[in-house]
Amino acid sequence: MIRLVARRELTERVRERSFLVSTGITLGIIVLAVLLPLIFGFGGPKHYVVAGGDAAGRAVAEQAVRVADSFDATVVVSDRDPDATVEGGEIRSTDEPDDTLVNILQVANQQVQSAPPPALRVVTSSPVDPDRDAKAGLAFFAILILYGQLLTYGMWVATGVVEEKSSRVVEILLSTIRPRDLLAGKAIGLGLLGLGQLLVISTVGLIVAAVSGALHVDGNLVGAVALSLVWFVLGYAFYASAFAVAGALVPRQEELQGALMPLTMVILISLFAGFAVNENPDGTFAHVTAFIPPMAPVTMPSRIILGAAPAWEVAASVALMLGSTLLLVPFAARIYAAVVLRTGSAVKLREAIRLARAE
Amino acid sequence: MGLTRRFGDRVALDGVSFAVEPRQMFGFVGPNGAGKTTTMRIILGVLGADAGSVLWNGVPVDMATRSRFGYMPEERGLYPKMRVRAQLVYFAALHGVAAPEEAADRWISRLGLSSRASDRVEQLSLGNQQRVQLAAALVHEPSLLVLDEPFSGLDPVGVDVLSGVLAEYAATGVPVLFSSHQLELVERLCEAVAIIKDGRLVASGSVESLRGSAGSDAVRVVVEGASLEEVRAAAGSVGRVVSAGYAGPSLAELFREVVRD
Repeated sequence: MIRLVARRELTERVRERSFLVSTGITLGIIVLAVLLPLIFGFGGPKHYVVAGGDAAGRAVAEQAVRVADSFDATVVVSDRDPDATVEGGEIRSTDEPDDTLVNILQVANQQVQSAPPPALRVVTSSPVDPDRDAKAGLAFFAILILYGQLLTYGMWVATGVVEEKSSRVVEILLSTIRPRDLLAGKAIGLGLLGLGQLLVISTVGLIVAAVSGALHVDGNLVGAVALSLVWFVLGYAFYASAFAVAGALVPRQEELQGALMPLTMVILISLFAGFAVNENPDGTFAHVTAFIPPMAPVTMPSRIILGAAPAWEVAASVALMLGSTLLLVPFAARIYAAVVLRTGSAVKLREAIRLARAE
Repeated sequence: MGLTRRFGDRVALDGVSFAVEPRQMFGFVGPNGAGKTTTMRIILGVLGADAGSVLWNGVPVDMATRSRFGYMPEERGLYPKMRVRAQLVYFAALHGVAAPEEAADRWISRLGLSSRASDRVEQLSLGNQQRVQLAAALVHEPSLLVLDEPFSGLDPVGVDVLSGVLAEYAATGVPVLFSSHQLELVERLCEAVAIIKDGRLVASGSVESLRGSAGSDAVRVVVEGASLEEVRAAAGSVGRVVSAGYAGPSLAELFREVVRD
């Protein structure tokens, strides 16, 4: 029974042209987002500011100005806010220096000395993941896509519930199937579709990133993306239950927007929390959101991709999310069963809870 | 049997009992809000009863028995965006039909919907939507058919088609229970009726027996040996004659009688 319902939800949705179009658009955006920085990165000369920390360093820096031309770049020697400082046989910078700049300095270093010197070592003051920027970009997308996916599929659950309610199909369905099975089938069918869509999007994204060289794709990164998918499942189960209740409360699609308002607000706030966490993935706020179930599905994946969430915190956050979902689902199913046949006017949540208790 | 259902403080049904026989067309009538839909929903198991039970061959019905019932809710009862054939296949499968595609195709051709099978329901005319609705209620060859206001909004031709299909289906040995406001129609189609008011059953039984017991405060005057014209003329000499005829109480009169406050 549950399988029949789930299959209908899935196939009916896939057959809609709007679904295919929106999936295509999302894929297009992902491919563009991965490739655009690369395309722009190759165009135009680059500008670097280099400082010399000692006599040898100054000589290298000055030589670099002449060398730069053959790298399609310009180098200026200055002590003010340099991209890198050459000192004591090292290239020193706060963040990972550009590959082009390192190449220029290495060539300059070879040229200023008669005997071939040892290559300059790159030293950064803050330990930096070579893919830091690319990963931050990926994390940003993870936040956006999870937000969009949770909102869209939650909305589909709610509109699906209202569609059955307003068309009275639910009366025929409930004569052969228990309300909670109907709800489970609907949520599972749409959830599988959402998961499949995410799987396609993330696979295409990773392949394009790996092939184009925009990102160094290794086991860790694939694991982090896979964990994001797990977070979608957790977040979806939570929000689908809540959206189903909101849908069951109203008799017509026109009244759905109002009933969904609190939920869409929570998801929107989670989106902004996600952006804040992406800026500072190890901050206090980031740690707090891990333990707020409605927010964690949007904020946690980005921290996992950035490697900023300790394993115990991920485990605790998942456990809390699972626990709250397991509490919410039967509660939602009971409210749904109690109000889904009320066709006259919208039911207040408090009234719905009272009815569910009375059943 | 003794169906009772409360919504909050309101008693929607209070001890409603009636029986529907095989092959019987059973009319369920009553004013708006009397509890007709609630009763049907309880029969179908869509709603639970606070007291009382629904019996099938003397045994309380369970989920397995109910999946053999057919139900047509008031207005629509179909997915507007789903295609006709896919929809019927889905309903057949939900009711446990072994070959849902064949069952759907059979009813599609039987109700003359073949050219519309791959259209979305919302693209169909109202008359065709009603046919799909009927097919959805019949696609699993139910052992009991329950229809909530099946004739509302139908033109006379639609009424004839629908009543023909229902009578034909009842003739196969299946009880058909439907509610309606069109009392003349109920009187024409049904062997038995139940009249409900404010959640209580005020009359039930065969149409014939109800007619016999009707009109407790009416005076029956039997005029013998006079033609209708003579009676009308005599009555006209003392007052205005609204109508004169040979009829016994129609079901409509009966209805007005029993639901009068």
